[in-house]
Amino acid sequence: MIPCTEVYIMKKSALFVTADSKKCTGCKACELACFAEHNHKSNGVGKTVGTVTVPVTPKLYLVRDEKFCLPIQCRHCEDAPCLAACVKHAITRVNGQVYINEEKCIGCKDCIMACPFGAIALFPVSRNGEAVYQQDTDQPQIVASKCDLCMDIEGGPACVRACPNNALRLVDPDEELLDKHLRAAESLMATL
Amino acid sequence: MIVITIDKNICTGCRECAEVCPAWAIEGEQGKPQTINTDRCIMCGQCVQKCKSYVSLITHGADAYEKIRKERGLPETVKEPLFAAHNVTHIQEVKAALADPNVITMVQSAPAVRVAIAEDFGAPLGTLAAGKLAAALRRIGFDYIYDTNFTADLTIMEEGTELITRVTKGGTLPMMTSCCPAWVSFLERNYPELQAHLSTCKSPQQMMGAVMKTYGAERNGIEPAKLFSVSVMPCTCKEFECSREEMKDSGYRDVDAVLTTRELAWLIKDMGIDWNALPEEDFDHPLGDYTGAGNIFGVTGGVMEAAIRTGYELITGQPIPSVDVTPVRGTEGVRTANMQVGDLTLKVGVVTGLKNVIPVLESIKAGKCDLHFIEVMTCPEGCVSGGGQPKLLMDTDRPEAYAARRENTFVHDENLPLRKSHENPSIKMIYEEFLGEPNSHKSHELLHTKYCTGKNKWK
Repeated sequence: MIPCTEVYIMKKSALFVTADSKKCTGCKACELACFAEHNHKSNGVGKTVGTVTVPVTPKLYLVRDEKFCLPIQCRHCEDAPCLAACVKHAITRVNGQVYINEEKCIGCKDCIMACPFGAIALFPVSRNGEAVYQQDTDQPQIVASKCDLCMDIEGGPACVRACPNNALRLVDPDEELLDKHLRAAESLMATL
Repeated sequence: MIVITIDKNICTGCRECAEVCPAWAIEGEQGKPQTINTDRCIMCGQCVQKCKSYVSLITHGADAYEKIRKERGLPETVKEPLFAAHNVTHIQEVKAALADPNVITMVQSAPAVRVAIAEDFGAPLGTLAAGKLAAALRRIGFDYIYDTNFTADLTIMEEGTELITRVTKGGTLPMMTSCCPAWVSFLERNYPELQAHLSTCKSPQQMMGAVMKTYGAERNGIEPAKLFSVSVMPCTCKEFECSREEMKDSGYRDVDAVLTTRELAWLIKDMGIDWNALPEEDFDHPLGDYTGAGNIFGVTGGVMEAAIRTGYELITGQPIPSVDVTPVRGTEGVRTANMQVGDLTLKVGVVTGLKNVIPVLESIKAGKCDLHFIEVMTCPEGCVSGGGQPKLLMDTDRPEAYAARRENTFVHDENLPLRKSHENPSIKMIYEEFLGEPNSHKSHELLHTKYCTGKNKWK
């Protein structure tokens, strides 16, 4: 049974990863996996810690407080404030997902100011295992960095795969809605 | 001495380390920095392998990394992430000894190092690199490149003879292996009443230390006082083992410093050695000569298999029908097998992952264990999975890493010309020239030890 409402003729919603703070222990396996998977090719990171020669720059960030911990990452907003704010057009939509082209980014921080979730951080750039400097200076190149949903990485989001407690999951909002509709209908039927 | 510690400023209190600790040594509330109870900790380093809480640009700031790297005494060339749980390094002592013209250095390297160190240079998991390892140690500047695999073969002669004596003449059974210092520490702390079950043999590392500063020094015409002996180990507990007060039967501290596999990779990089350009070289004769039996000490069941290869032939005088002793292979936590050795049915057990030893120890205490010989290793699949081995960025790679390291340990064994410890010509030579015979007076002086003494008398 597929309920028919207007929602299903809209374009497909962007996916995102979300965390369950009840399951998260704050171990940072997600951050490390995110960094590792994004730096195999660009920085020669292998499977062991000893192969790393550059700072760890994850695209999600563990947040801890007295009472909770969970990683924060990009929601891939449909009307993305970061995308609208970027003067260099470094933030675009690729296959429905919000994506930062780090080569175009000048580190102006408008996206950081615009993001309602704190999902974007500034990080130094590394390439071929070494720090990248701004042209003709000794200043490291710093760019905005955020979750790209591991769009070019086999196996999908590394954070989801690495979490030892299954605290992270990839959400497809369209399927989520369908599923919720079904469950709501089922529970209504049961009470009739 | 502190071997393993957790940096309070970096620890997030996730307690994932407490999940893998086999000794209930990690204490603290969830979400708060953890501490290690050193009375319980057996220094296996599994927490070091597990910890993912790294020094972060966002959480700790841009200057934190350099500050912590210096505090921990790591070389400036180290760029890899630093974690809350870590072992205290002795790399600077090794560098100082290498740089001192009045010091002669001898190095030994454990079997499991050669199937893991290449990983820290980007090679596929489990790559076998025995030849490159020997070449790297030579380029670093060690004067004598010896091999713990030699004393693994020697251990088989000593421990095999001890077992045969216990079984045939009456002695405490089951006899349990003593090459894993974390396991020995666990028994000393928790089951000292069972100490007579431990083989009196020192570990291969400590046998090599004692042999280097006696036979090794003598053969090479070196004053043992000038010798600095270094071992490269897959294990964080080996530094503790070599610092035990009784481990100076050569008249000196037998092993002066230990580098873990990871630390040797740092040293190779620090010396500017291009790992990928290294040729394949041999370890030095005679204390670097080894058989496949010595090499398989690196995997769970390996000591048992090596002991059976030799024990069978010493007892029966016949060649063993199959050199591959498959009944004791595997990775399950507890395995048992009955081995027919002439008229004797030898009942053996293999335990890996220290939590699995508790039921076995309880059955021994209750008088219900009918095994003759039990191998015990602390780490999940033996030394290939040791606390000092290259650390995986993602735990999801762990099964592949262990399987590859294990497989290549056996590949190396199969490809060696000799696969039984008693056939090692340099083992025969050291008995002829120096030790006499297995379990001789001299062997007992240098190669055997006592437990639960001094600071290690816990109860």
